[in-house]
Amino acid sequence: MKYSATSGIQHEEPLLFEHAHKAAESISLPGVAGNVPAALETFARKAPAGIPGLSEPEAVRHFVRLSQWNHGIETGFYPLGSCTMKYNPRVNEQVVRLPGLAHVHPDQPEESVQGVLALLYELQTWLGEISGLPHVTLQPAAGAHGELTGMMMIRAYHDSRNDTKRRKVLVPDSAHGTNPASAVLAGMHTVEIKSGANGRIDPDVLRANLDDETAALMLTNPNTTGMFESDIADICRLVHEAGGLVYGDGANLNALVGIARPGDMGIDCLHINVHKTFATPHGGGGPGAGPVAVNDTLSPFLPVPRIEQARDSYNIVKTDDSSIGPVFGSIGQTGVLLRAAAYIAAFGREHLHKIAEDAVLNANYVRVRLTDAYHVPFPGLCKHECLLTDEIQNKHGVKTLDIAKRLIDLGFHPMTVYFPLIVHGAMLIEPTETESKNTLDTFCDAMLEIAKQCETGDTEAIHDAPMMPIRRRLDETQAARKPVLVWHDDD
Amino acid sequence: MRFLPHTDDDRQAMLETIGVDGMRDLFADIPAEFHRDPGSLDLPVALSEACIVRKFTEAAEANRHAGNTRCFLGNGTYCHFVPAVVDYVISRGEFLTAYTPYQPEIAQGTLQTLFEFQSMIARLTGMEVSNASMYDASTSVAEAALMAQRVTRKSRIVMAGSVNPRYRAVTENYLSRLDGEYVQVAMDGFATSLDTVIKAIDDQTACVIVQYPDFYGSVYDLAPLRAACDAHMCLLVVAFSDATAFALIDPPGAYGADIAVGSGQSLGIPMEFGGPHLGLFTCKQQYVRQMPGRVCGMTEDLDGKRGFVLTLSTREQHIRREKATSNICSNQGLMCTAAATYMTLMGDAGLETVARHSAAALHQLIEGLPTHVQAAPGAHYNETVLSFADQATRNHFMDESIRQNIFAGIPLEQLDASAEPRHLLVATTEMIEEDDITTYLQALEVALSFTHKSCHRTPTHGSGQGAGRR
Repeated sequence: MKYSATSGIQHEEPLLFEHAHKAAESISLPGVAGNVPAALETFARKAPAGIPGLSEPEAVRHFVRLSQWNHGIETGFYPLGSCTMKYNPRVNEQVVRLPGLAHVHPDQPEESVQGVLALLYELQTWLGEISGLPHVTLQPAAGAHGELTGMMMIRAYHDSRNDTKRRKVLVPDSAHGTNPASAVLAGMHTVEIKSGANGRIDPDVLRANLDDETAALMLTNPNTTGMFESDIADICRLVHEAGGLVYGDGANLNALVGIARPGDMGIDCLHINVHKTFATPHGGGGPGAGPVAVNDTLSPFLPVPRIEQARDSYNIVKTDDSSIGPVFGSIGQTGVLLRAAAYIAAFGREHLHKIAEDAVLNANYVRVRLTDAYHVPFPGLCKHECLLTDEIQNKHGVKTLDIAKRLIDLGFHPMTVYFPLIVHGAMLIEPTETESKNTLDTFCDAMLEIAKQCETGDTEAIHDAPMMPIRRRLDETQAARKPVLVWHDDD
Repeated sequence: MRFLPHTDDDRQAMLETIGVDGMRDLFADIPAEFHRDPGSLDLPVALSEACIVRKFTEAAEANRHAGNTRCFLGNGTYCHFVPAVVDYVISRGEFLTAYTPYQPEIAQGTLQTLFEFQSMIARLTGMEVSNASMYDASTSVAEAALMAQRVTRKSRIVMAGSVNPRYRAVTENYLSRLDGEYVQVAMDGFATSLDTVIKAIDDQTACVIVQYPDFYGSVYDLAPLRAACDAHMCLLVVAFSDATAFALIDPPGAYGADIAVGSGQSLGIPMEFGGPHLGLFTCKQQYVRQMPGRVCGMTEDLDGKRGFVLTLSTREQHIRREKATSNICSNQGLMCTAAATYMTLMGDAGLETVARHSAAALHQLIEGLPTHVQAAPGAHYNETVLSFADQATRNHFMDESIRQNIFAGIPLEQLDASAEPRHLLVATTEMIEEDDITTYLQALEVALSFTHKSCHRTPTHGSGQGAGRR
């Protein structure tokens, strides 16, 4: 067996509130030890907050032990579909910690921040070039925030033409859940477009839903089944002819980067998840950044503040009458954005397309190796991720969730499960370009072994999984029924 | 390419397994008209790791920063001390490179940390529950307004004009496309006039949003506002920009706030030119099912051992889609880990010291001001407005302070266009030492004496590279 399970030393670690020992002495702090004015003392907090405080050695051990209960990209393969969990280069961590980047206040005078403005402006131009949509805002803090920003701009475009009845947004049933939620937050309503039998948008269904109230189509391409919407040019043309615009969800840009550009295909507006395509770390849920790239049609509506290049300096534009206004409290998640810039700089023009090439190669390799053992709902070439279902394993009483949990015992993070919603028991696998053939082979071997165990009825280990981590399957129903979200010392 | 593990032999073998001739065949489903020649994008050539470090170092050195200046800037971003352990913990690959903890068995590290974070934030703010973060304070305030509309089934939002202008702008922007009325209550002077705010509340009001300490650093008694909210069945939303304040003064929960939202950047997160920071979102337990964002809860595993999971996900977009309480998906997870580590290192005592030193520095600065410069009256935590006789005097001081390597404050009109151009928003933290205050006051004295001799000297906007400090 080539793969190895997680079996290192794991320490139980109490909540920090349960540590018997409280730090004897407070951390050493700089500053002025003078008096607080009497006027402020009248508002003095009545009782301490109850934050325990550990000594530095105890605190380090507490969090290091907790860290060891996590699977991360640096510990193992992370084939989460639609999440693009690729290696996060360490040099990117190093450069964003340079004092001249990490300790810059956002309201310093512009002449004192020309270095960081130059890096951010350069990133804007790179993202514009890569997407084929030359005007870029760096402000959105995440992908969904980019979607909201994009939908606000699309709405502003229609309003600027006094076409204020356009409030309908078409969203394919395979779309990420953020798409409809973002459209609604921009004051639009959504209509779901049913996917065709091949997992793609059916142009006839699309046509039937287009009318003079259509503001936009929100499109993920390749879509969340991993398939490229080959009719993309027709799709965009149909929407444009009906007076709507096409919003591109860039969550799956890893399949296209350096190979083809959404802007060339007719997409008007695209958010880019830099925490996916450009390797900024996911951090256990964030922070990400979701810059939005648009064409000339939408550029007047970009949020402020934004960075512009003057003759010999970079300036921050703070107001602009046609702008949708600010969507975030600063120019953007600078630390995240700079990591993305470092990733693009490392590939450069000569290597950038290899991101998509190896990502698509890896997904198709996994797809082909698993094709007979698992049901492939939409056969044929996939892009950067491949979609399987549990249809074959269902016959043996094994579900997608069981397969996912068994993978944990075999040393892998599960794939994305039960998404997209358009197939039953979805398993969406995205290997990314930073995985070796050896890793993919060990993963495929593990998947094939699970399939074989199902076939032979040897499913006990699958149903009991996971056994290896510090906790077994957790009761999510109990957690939701009576939510305990904070610690009470009498608990 | 150093991040790509395949050899050409690997690629060839894999292409053969797939049954295609070459890499381009993998993209046959993309119409040929859209294919680009490899290397044809207008991007710079690839940089080695060493060259990336050099490029970023050069850019970093072209900036001035808190490490080589005396930084008195605030406005929602504060230069507090960040212990080395915080950065060490969030640099651990197991925290840094983990995904959202949707597979709880192999994400207990992130989940227990989030539970500890939520617990500590609830205690610090005096609120019952906290979520697992929003993007930043601005979007937290906007989401609080939307949540209040859901809870009350009313749509009118009353916003005090003394809330940070960026929070107001983002909130107004979020609300502007949705049903409901947004009312901004103008303030007279650099403080929050509760009487004026209370007059704006009516029975249609979903919530009233105030900042405490407010945008000008002013601290005031929220009790009358709580009573007014009760009279009109509307929610009290309290925004804040420096969470360390609540180690010293009564927190929002002490005033019965229904929702308290703000920035957690002060809790161990560097300023980083505006992000990533940390949006905090807390509320009363009874409203938890209307809360936006992810939240971590306690449960048990099959063996009855305590464990943690993301919970109440039926509020969220991946389940509820267009009916979700928010569209947020990625949040500021790693910054929660930073804040949890920071608070653990500080404890009650350390946090109180941070707060006392921050407040004491401002007090000492104000006590030393010359008579021609006025600080806003009333109780202040670590931020206030300094007012000068006129714009020329203020700008002259700005120039002098830049020459002396001091970021002396933010011209108020840059943040609030309605402000006269003769004020500075000034903030202090525990990073401000006696020597910084002395230097600040000396620069003020030099500038004022010079201004009095020659008011009409053309100000030279500072561009000098300051000598290193520290």
